[in-house]
Amino acid sequence: MISMKMLEIPLQIFRYREGEPPHYDIFTVQVADTAHVIDAMDAVWATRDRSFTFRRACHHSSCGSCSLRINGVEKLPCITRVMDVWDGHAPVRLDPLRNFPVVSDLVVDVSAFFQRMSAAGMTITRSAEPSLPVSVDNLAVTGVLSRPVEVPESLSRFNRFENCIECAICMSACPTMATDEKFLGPAGLAAIYRARQKADNPSDVAHLLGLADGEHGVWRCHSAFECTAACPQAVDPAGKIMALRRELIARRFKVAARAAAVVPRTRNYSAPAGPTKHGGNGA
Amino acid sequence: MENPFAEEPKATSAWLWQVFTGVGLVILLGLHFMANHFIAKGGLRDFADVVAYLRNPIVLVLELLFLVFVTTHALLGVRAVLLDFGFSESIEKRLSRALTVVGVLTIGYGLWLTWNIIR
Amino acid sequence: MATLNYPKIRRAGRWFDVRRRRLGMWAYTLNRITGIGLVVYLYLHLGVLSLLARGQSSWDSFVSLARSPFYLGLDVVLLAGILIHGLNGLRIALTGFDVGVRAQKALFGILMLAAAVALIAAALKIFGD
Repeated sequence: MISMKMLEIPLQIFRYREGEPPHYDIFTVQVADTAHVIDAMDAVWATRDRSFTFRRACHHSSCGSCSLRINGVEKLPCITRVMDVWDGHAPVRLDPLRNFPVVSDLVVDVSAFFQRMSAAGMTITRSAEPSLPVSVDNLAVTGVLSRPVEVPESLSRFNRFENCIECAICMSACPTMATDEKFLGPAGLAAIYRARQKADNPSDVAHLLGLADGEHGVWRCHSAFECTAACPQAVDPAGKIMALRRELIARRFKVAARAAAVVPRTRNYSAPAGPTKHGGNGA
Repeated sequence: MENPFAEEPKATSAWLWQVFTGVGLVILLGLHFMANHFIAKGGLRDFADVVAYLRNPIVLVLELLFLVFVTTHALLGVRAVLLDFGFSESIEKRLSRALTVVGVLTIGYGLWLTWNIIR
Repeated sequence: MATLNYPKIRRAGRWFDVRRRRLGMWAYTLNRITGIGLVVYLYLHLGVLSLLARGQSSWDSFVSLARSPFYLGLDVVLLAGILIHGLNGLRIALTGFDVGVRAQKALFGILMLAAAVALIAAALKIFGD
């Protein structure tokens, strides 16, 4: 049996309600020394302030819901141990993700993120839950989206298996996302990469590569590599962006286009050395 | 399914020109710097030295090539920083055109100045 | 839906917020800052060169000013900007063509070390002469 010590952890949490200026609240909660940050957040909600708003679900980094910034750095609190981010005295600071509008406290509006997934042709929904078109509709006024996304009839095409858990951490870490609202972003471009790998007709390929080659595509990336460094799931969005560039350039010069294409070979820079499976694990 | 992100797909060659001029500058700027500060006596050329230097045809060609490369690279860089702010397409087009005009004027000025010195 | 949107002017400055950022972000920010600095320098330099059109006395008096230690110090700063921007630029060119992406951090380290060595050598030469 692991012996656990109980700790008094101070959390400095970003708070926001519509119509009021944002501020920080400091709460001290008691958790085990083996606890994850999400446990401390749960403790704040359960024992200190029921109005504290945050997202959480699976507690094991497969849903991507809880993403936020811990001491200024993008992380998933469900897999981040308190002892790894607490120096023993200063409060652990929790802030919402960058580059998304804040709804309340640590919850941000991620519709723009899912629009980019849809732009790559990746929608996954059960026919009983057509929630995507409804939330996307609200964003029509910002000019990002001109019409709601239609839910496709055949759903089997849209099941996907990939490393990306859609936590949007990469989008928060990206410096170009900070200044350009229309940038497809590391997540959007990595999704385009994955879709392009599976694309089996020329018009789909042309569409996807056209998005990648556009004014808000791969050329807006400035090689900060923050996305790949921050990603908790080894998606390597920066590597995917560079791979897309390679194919676009090769097609431009019609040189070795087949060898440079994203489809026949996949190189996963963050996977351990070894053969990569074609098709199955797209990231 | 119509794609809400679909804008006119553009072949973006600006980045390729940026890389090409950048790599070229590693060489041309290296030469320019060494010729003007490390080969020249005392690290700087006085007026007579400048005239003699630019009257050498090989030097003239390299220095003018350097001017074109550095102006192109600099203004493409400014354009990249500006495009990062996500302006509307019409503003971006106007910025690109304005920067092109600045570039042409800069190179024109350089040519005029060079002619002024060597004649 | 209630949203907190940062005003546009604050967004514009966010690309150089390097607090708690990793190596790649530092490289990007350094490149951008040196790039902007070099553009400013380029136009200052072109402006100063107009003295050549005004004849020998104008240019030569500028040259004697440019030999002062303050100016030589500025030259070293300029050279630092050139070396950082140029060598990091090579890294960006390579990774942008999908070459050496996995080694991008090591590449940055090696190139900046080369820049430091070249800078020190050049500074010694500039102030030595």
